[in-house]
Amino acid sequence: MLRSLSVPRAAVRSAFKQSSSLPKVVAPSAIARLSKRSYATEAEERDLVIIGGGVAGYVAAIKAGQEGLKVTCIEKRGTLGGTCLNVGCIPSKALLNNSHLYHQILHDTKNRGIEVGDVKLNLEQLMKSKDTAVAGLTKGVEFLFKKNNVEYIKGTGSFVNEHEIKVNLSEGGERSVVGKNIIIATGSEATPFPGLEVDEKRIVTSTGALALEKVPESMVVIGGGIIGLEMGSVWSRLGAKVTVVEYLGQIGGPGMDSEISKSAQKILKKQGIDFKLNTKVLGGDVSGDKIKLEVEAAKGGKNETLEAEVVLVAIGRRPYTAGLGLENIGLETDERGRLVIDSEYRTKIPHIRVVGDCTFGPMLAHKAEEEAVAVVEYIKKGYGHVNYGAIPSVMYTHPEVAWVGQNEQELKAAGVKYKIGTFPFSANSRAKTNLDTEGMVKMIVDAETDRILGIHIIGPGAGEMIAEGTLAIEYGASSEDIGRTSHAHPTLSEAFKEAAMNCYSSAIHF
Amino acid sequence: MASFASACRLSVRLSAKQLRQDATSRGFRTSARSLAAQNFTMPALSPTMTEGNIASWKFKEGDSFSAGDVLLEIETDKASMDVEAQDDGILAKIIQGDGSKGLKVGTRIGVLAEPGDDLSTLEIPADAGPAAAPPAPKEESKAAPEPASSSKAEASKPSSPVPSGTPKKQTYPLLPSVQHLIHEHGLDESAIDKMTPTGPNNRLLKGDVLAYLGSISTSYPAELSSRIEKLSHLDLSNIKIAPPAPKPAKAAPPPAAAAATAPIIEDLEVAVPISLTAVIEVQKRIQSTLGVFLPLSTFIARATALANSNLPRSKTSPPSADELFNQVLGLDKATRAKGFKGNFLPQISALPARSSPDPTKKASTAPAKKKKDLDIIDILSGTTKTQQARAAAAPKPLPGISDSVNVFSVKVPRGDEKRAQLFLDRVKTALEAEPGRLVL
Ligand SMILES: Cc1cc2nc3c(=O)[nH]c(=O)nc-3n(C[C@H](O)[C@H](O)[C@H](O)COP(=O)(O)OP(=O)(O)OC[C@H]3O[C@@H](n4cnc5c(N)ncnc54)[C@H](O)[C@@H]3O)c2cc1C
Repeated sequence: MLRSLSVPRAAVRSAFKQSSSLPKVVAPSAIARLSKRSYATEAEERDLVIIGGGVAGYVAAIKAGQEGLKVTCIEKRGTLGGTCLNVGCIPSKALLNNSHLYHQILHDTKNRGIEVGDVKLNLEQLMKSKDTAVAGLTKGVEFLFKKNNVEYIKGTGSFVNEHEIKVNLSEGGERSVVGKNIIIATGSEATPFPGLEVDEKRIVTSTGALALEKVPESMVVIGGGIIGLEMGSVWSRLGAKVTVVEYLGQIGGPGMDSEISKSAQKILKKQGIDFKLNTKVLGGDVSGDKIKLEVEAAKGGKNETLEAEVVLVAIGRRPYTAGLGLENIGLETDERGRLVIDSEYRTKIPHIRVVGDCTFGPMLAHKAEEEAVAVVEYIKKGYGHVNYGAIPSVMYTHPEVAWVGQNEQELKAAGVKYKIGTFPFSANSRAKTNLDTEGMVKMIVDAETDRILGIHIIGPGAGEMIAEGTLAIEYGASSEDIGRTSHAHPTLSEAFKEAAMNCYSSAIHF
Repeated sequence: MASFASACRLSVRLSAKQLRQDATSRGFRTSARSLAAQNFTMPALSPTMTEGNIASWKFKEGDSFSAGDVLLEIETDKASMDVEAQDDGILAKIIQGDGSKGLKVGTRIGVLAEPGDDLSTLEIPADAGPAAAPPAPKEESKAAPEPASSSKAEASKPSSPVPSGTPKKQTYPLLPSVQHLIHEHGLDESAIDKMTPTGPNNRLLKGDVLAYLGSISTSYPAELSSRIEKLSHLDLSNIKIAPPAPKPAKAAPPPAAAAATAPIIEDLEVAVPISLTAVIEVQKRIQSTLGVFLPLSTFIARATALANSNLPRSKTSPPSADELFNQVLGLDKATRAKGFKGNFLPQISALPARSSPDPTKKASTAPAKKKKDLDIIDILSGTTKTQQARAAAAPKPLPGISDSVNVFSVKVPRGDEKRAQLFLDRVKTALEAEPGRLVL
């Protein structure tokens, strides 16, 4: 249809040659308008349509744009970056960093010879500075979309059929997109606690905890995982009395090495956070001034009532696929709501693939990002790669906790013979000069081959240091390979090297 | 325009998978034996490509190449493309030499070997077909047994990081621990080649040296590797499907079969008649007064340059990074509308002196097209090369440019007509009103 509308150039040329009155501009704009309109009604087919503009979705979109695919990304939030940039990694780190600074000025700088008179918290400004960071980064992603020719549709997408997605536009109206390939990257949401209705003011998820209007006098955190401990740290530093209730016997989640977890708990306790492990929350009562939580110590069986101004529900996250119209195309989730995929991220409808939090694997932004690149490579080149054995985890408390590979309890359970090398930051010259000596590096290697199986760090800058450990695991390094590699002096990374030396021979400085 | 071919040359990087197609399919039949030499077949560089010509090989037989090197240049009827290597290797044999034409996709064109392979002992695999695997040139007696747990599927995966179970020459710097052990035990280079690497991508690990030395069990490193390899995949076993949600009654309509075809972006042509009478007058005047002959090209080039400066921005030109960012921040309206330099180059053709539209003379489009292939500077500067080209294009006594009215035209993408019109109007003014100012 379009062909007949557009005027072939040769025809135009000969046409105007014949008439001696020379038309100024060939092809009246009316034709252009007409042809455009005819397109708006029919959905244009795109090489790739991505539902969700979180880390998984936006990275896939940019990568696809770079690969020359015609790509469209649908996001309903109004800004790009998903959980991570808007209500996750980024705002939480903004609050963690600034609350740490505040806490340090209150309690620590005096010892260092810096006396600050009259320290005041301006919570509104603290939140504003967080919002500035978030806005800058989400706009940055939007800029990258433009730069890489990614079409960005603001609205909620849902499947009409296997190729067509209907978008409920944020600005009103509806639109349809058709994709040769489709990626579902709709992410996750906080798992609600049965019986406690989240209002994001008194009963909050991490999202509400990132935007409290005043520092609560008291806060109970249900769930001692990474998100709970990070948000608990923020409000504890700002002055709230924080109690963490955890059902399991250790904080930090099951991936954290038990020894490191115990050490983290001790340090956080010193900072003023209370812990109730092996404890179950039975229910809550929000009618009064304070929220009353009924808890039960799992083994002892003793019941207790905790009171708090704010309760943070941080018992985990679950895949988010509501409103996606999965039923229209018969896609399945597993019993935990994860979209079922194969090793190339394909659903049972092979041109529809899934990456990020809404499918299997750890719910981490950098995992989502790796998958996003790999999935586009699968689509474009037929081969992609993510090494799930080398994905680091970081808890951004102070000190930070970071790890990669397997932990000691996992190796013990698997019956693997291993050796351990540790090095405390109290013996590291840089940590000493910084007066920040809590924590250690713990390296676990195969007893026979010395190949590194896991690295666990608690200490200042652990999140940065784990990059070296991840690289070591990716390359199959032994502790000796690290121990024989020069590390700058004086740096915290020397502790990393010494822990390695401690595996295959002995640390020099301990 | 002469450089059409190079302008649309594509660079194609073949994945290891594509390059090693043959080897892959054979790998299934021969389990995990080392496949030293592999047939290299005419690749399909686009989904529609069925055959191609070999313009030239960039390596000689026996040369080593590295990942990213251009192995050869292939021509199709549409374009010419460089084929890059994804992995390091050796060009063991060229079977279809430079200039071979009409080679079907999949035809064997050469044989590739792994880096470090000894070509003198290497057996060239048979062409296509389920031929027997080439006998691996290296001794296999030292090979560790296949890790018990590595399934068939794993062993046959071509790019799987699972160790192959055969000794392999190390092409990367040795790990510090490996180097240390080797020196400590006084081993020499040939010993390294006999060790079985179990690391990712066949890297030789400390454990492999220990196994070679007999300090640990020879099979252990491979077992450990396969265990670690399992951790590198998502565990998608034992998935328990959630009970199905109630299905909505209405059946989904079939997928939109008549998906819209991609819009054809047709270039538009904007044309303006411009008289060169004034220019030629000035040209004559200058020659008679100053004794200098200024070719027409000089006038037109300067008029073009003048008209190109300070144009409104093209609707189709990609905005700069700064502009995009300002757009995102909503600052674009404030800081817009500065002048942009155009790069229009008008096509010039004489208006037929007597316009007698002859319907039988269809040829009018053909020469016009050819003329467009000539660079305007060639036409105007009167070089010999152009003379020939011009003669070939239109063997008429006075082709190309007329002394009086010529049509200046430019092709622009839709949306840029106004900009082109402005440009041509400026050229017109410059050439018709005061051409003298262009050169004085
Ligand atoms: C408080 C907090 C702190 C965190 N800190 C870290 C950290 O430090 N490091 C780390 O690695 N990870 C962290 N995470 C986890 C991280 O945020 C997630 O792993 C990551 O965001 C997952 O990315 P995703 O793209 O899969 O999903 P999401 O980021 O959740 O993005 C999915 C997007 O899809 C959109 N969407 C959903 N359905 C539709 C639809 N039908 N149509 C259109 N759009 C739709 C949603 O609006 C959302 O924006 C944190 C999470 C939280 C909550």
